[in-house]
Amino acid sequence: MLDHLSLMVLDALLIAVFFTFLWKRGRKERWLYFWKVFGALVVGAIVLGWVMYPFPRG
Amino acid sequence: MTEHSRPVGLSLPIPILLGLAWLVPGLGHVLLGRRLRAGVFFLVVVVAFLLGIVFDGELVTPHPGDPLSYLATVASLGNGLLFLVARAVGLGQGVVTAAAYEFGNTFLLTAGMMNLLLVLDAHDIATGKKDW
Repeated sequence: MLDHLSLMVLDALLIAVFFTFLWKRGRKERWLYFWKVFGALVVGAIVLGWVMYPFPRG
Repeated sequence: MTEHSRPVGLSLPIPILLGLAWLVPGLGHVLLGRRLRAGVFFLVVVVAFLLGIVFDGELVTPHPGDPLSYLATVASLGNGLLFLVARAVGLGQGVVTAAAYEFGNTFLLTAGMMNLLLVLDAHDIATGKKDW
């Protein structure tokens, strides 16, 4: 079983590949865009997790 | 472009093309001659869908009294044939107690939304709004 962080990274990977091929053409442009989207999703999720940390459950 | 090399998709009525694009991820792009992108899209959507099923996600249908389930239903239906087949064989019921249930849902909804975006992209290509 993959842990939640790995699953989140996997989801980010699939989404980044999808949008890269949906919106960009050309090898260089695609690579750049892929890393931007992938990085934004992973880092954004981790930052959001920390921001939500002080809030109590329920 | 000669008539001979004209993609099949351009001679289909738009609603038929979009229906086929919805049914099988990437099929719209194949019919429009975008084979590389079609292959990538097919792989991404199918892998996301299968992960969602493996992780006990739910292919959402409307739950009375839960308005958000209607939105989730649209996203689930976006999976096209994958949704129909999975429901027909009893997959995608969702196991709420499973550790990765929420991630399963996320993968299934993501796959559906991506496929719906592919339908819109196929529309843009077929109508000439996008030339690649």
